[in-house]
Amino acid sequence: MASTQALKLRIRSVKNTRQITKAMQLVAASKMRRSQEATKASAPYTLAARQLLTALSGRASVKDHPLFVQRPVKSRLLIVIASDKGLAGAYNSNVLRLFTQELASDAKANIRTTTITVGKKASQFVARLKSADMLGLYDELPDRPDGKQLRAILDNARQLFEAGTVDAVDVIYTDFVSSISQEAKVQRVLPAGFEPAAEAGVAKDVLYEPSVDAVLSGVAYRLVGAQLFQALLDSRASEHSMRMMAMKNATDNASDLVDDLTLAMNKARQAAITQELAEISGGVEALNE
Amino acid sequence: MHLQLITLRGIRLDREMYELMVPTADGEIAVFPGHEPLVTLAVPGALTVRYDKKDPDDKLEYFAISGGVVEINPDAIRVLVDEADLGADISEAEVKAALKRAEKLRDEAKDQVELEHAKELIDRHEVRLRVADLQRRRRSR
Repeated sequence: MASTQALKLRIRSVKNTRQITKAMQLVAASKMRRSQEATKASAPYTLAARQLLTALSGRASVKDHPLFVQRPVKSRLLIVIASDKGLAGAYNSNVLRLFTQELASDAKANIRTTTITVGKKASQFVARLKSADMLGLYDELPDRPDGKQLRAILDNARQLFEAGTVDAVDVIYTDFVSSISQEAKVQRVLPAGFEPAAEAGVAKDVLYEPSVDAVLSGVAYRLVGAQLFQALLDSRASEHSMRMMAMKNATDNASDLVDDLTLAMNKARQAAITQELAEISGGVEALNE
Repeated sequence: MHLQLITLRGIRLDREMYELMVPTADGEIAVFPGHEPLVTLAVPGALTVRYDKKDPDDKLEYFAISGGVVEINPDAIRVLVDEADLGADISEAEVKAALKRAEKLRDEAKDQVELEHAKELIDRHEVRLRVADLQRRRRSR
């Protein structure tokens, strides 16, 4: 039977841990709410870009634009989005598992893969892999990423694609389905896919300045950017909600552990008392004889 | 005419207005109601809005925008930019500090990519500073 003193110490330490995980849970919950709202914010931007592109497709051949050209894929760029910090349940391992799967399938198909990582956990993982070719890393993005961070990554990818160094750009991120369900996914960013918007909303006989092609480039670039931005936002929201769940589980586990330990401590204390009583009455018996 | 200012972070403006000045690749253009349909590229700079025809110059609002696309119809304008900061919201002290940091980045850039990135940051901050300055001068008059 463990000593009461030792059990008391353990209970105290588990309670401390519980306090910390509880605090982390609350922080993650409030961050999640904010980033969840942010995931919806870029929808009007994407829609407007798609409508413009729909209108443009009547004037110029969208398929022949450098950002839309489909080439046989011989080399590919993967943008892996993970987090800077751990303790977020399976968030990072899900993304990184998907990444290793993609690497393996590329190796089988004889495709050369280069990688850009977002987040420390991703860059540390990729740096350790011998088979991976890391091109760039973007660590410690702010909690609400904006155009600046996006453009840094996007320009890098676009240049590689336009120069023909890579034939496709995929992003591996975590799709924020809902606050209880998130899914690691691979999405193609370049060559850009294009589905015509239902209602174009742009008049027919429109003037394009400086030229149709220049405007097309501008719009296409924005559409691709919006897609990548959405992946960043979704990943952020997923990270926070997974961290919240992980910390909630940790808090619950700590509570269970405290209950078990308290029970064990009470038993130990009671056993000590019973034993003492038995010894005393045993002593009294001995004296009476 | 109706103006929508759409950024990556959502819709910044969605309301009626009278006059809009946009910096484009071919110079600044002013758009009034009834403008012919036009789609053009906006460049980083100050976007100026006059909400009502009778508004004097000191009621103009300025936005520091990054590059984007402007779609003009006779009765509506859509401005699609990555970022737009309202002049009155920009803190000059903060931007000046950010500009210093960006210049330091530029001086310490190790390769071309970093250099380009720093230069872009500098441009962005300079635009914001200019817009904040414009807004302040109008107001104080």
